[in-house]
Amino acid sequence: MTQIAATTTEATKPFEPRVVAFVCNWCTYAGADLAGTSRMQYAPNVRIVKLPCTGRIDPLFVVKAFEGGADAVLVSGCHPGDCHYTSGNYHARRRWTIFRKLLDLTGIDPRRLHFSWVSAAEGAKFAHLINDVTAKVRALGPFEPHNPARRRPWR
Amino acid sequence: MEMIAALRADAAAVLADGRAKMVIGYRALGDRRKPVFITDGKMAELLVYGAECRQNLAAYLRKGELKRFRPLAIVARPAVIRSLVVLAAETQIKPADVVVLAVGDSEYHGVLDLAGATALLKEKYPKLMPPEETLKLLEKLSAMTPEERAEFWKAEFAKCTRCYACRAACPGCYCTQCIVEKNVPQWVSAAADQHGNYAWQVIRAFHQAGRCTLCGACEAACPQGIPLMALNVRISQDVAEEFGAQPGEDPAAKPVIGSWSADDEEDFIR
Repeated sequence: MTQIAATTTEATKPFEPRVVAFVCNWCTYAGADLAGTSRMQYAPNVRIVKLPCTGRIDPLFVVKAFEGGADAVLVSGCHPGDCHYTSGNYHARRRWTIFRKLLDLTGIDPRRLHFSWVSAAEGAKFAHLINDVTAKVRALGPFEPHNPARRRPWR
Repeated sequence: MEMIAALRADAAAVLADGRAKMVIGYRALGDRRKPVFITDGKMAELLVYGAECRQNLAAYLRKGELKRFRPLAIVARPAVIRSLVVLAAETQIKPADVVVLAVGDSEYHGVLDLAGATALLKEKYPKLMPPEETLKLLEKLSAMTPEERAEFWKAEFAKCTRCYACRAACPGCYCTQCIVEKNVPQWVSAAADQHGNYAWQVIRAFHQAGRCTLCGACEAACPQGIPLMALNVRISQDVAEEFGAQPGEDPAAKPVIGSWSADDEEDFIR
């Protein structure tokens, strides 16, 4: 009986992607807030981590998210020219340009790492973005078996 | 052989006339090539040079123990000269504290100051020189699917014992406290296990973005034979392609990561 219960719960549990979103305080977080206050529906698969600025997003954060079992990571901030700290997003853009290709080389599928600019007025864009990323990652399936950065349980 | 003789003579000369208080070069110990620190002109006879001298001696320049021996003369091939220029650009060394004994693959370019060595690079070695076998490996990797690449690197990184020889060998890794040693909070696991090894290798490579001169010292120092240069070469290709930058060209250059332009490409951001 217990065996049947275990197999049914394991086998029939549909795959739900875990998406970690690193967003900046001033634009994308406000955009997400607008999506919420406007009662827009979007996929509940996203875990939002708010930071002061995209310039504060250390590449290690992305590695850490994959280490902890994220199926995809989204990084989002203010449009170029709109940074609250003038140039944080420009600095971040340079880092990502290089870093995403490094992750691609080391076996993290670029389709699992998304970047966007979402302003405080773009609640609809945010909702659409989350739905789109979630749908794409759901189609890709779980990252677990191949994720090169994944933390393994203690043996 | 005349190249080595000229190198030894110049090393003795810079020590004799006070242009340098110490010469850092290579000596032979059997088949191995070890660094040698010469303060007495008579010892210059120990100096050798050849393609097997892969250690980057620029990594010694910032060592506190060698401070009292400045100015230091250093036996430097083109990639090492680039490292010196990067260190000068990042204000880690004063150009006046370095004397370059510039060596090429089979020629000797004499005693130069840092400005002279930079001019030599421009004239004779204008491009970074990635090793052939690394380019072949990168070609092989780019033909793989992301899953195959993940399995390749999982197997490679699994060999890592976290000895940090790659870090010690690199002149660019000069932070007094490395990110892997920060433990409140701990960003990178110190255990030699999958996730810590992945984070360490990727972050080590990324911290050299726009600064790595492809000297190959990290890969040569790795006791486990992990192809670290694949990461470094890939990053340097991307830096050149995206930002048109090549490290070690100009002692006044701004760092690639740490500066920005409003015109940077952003086709991957929506």
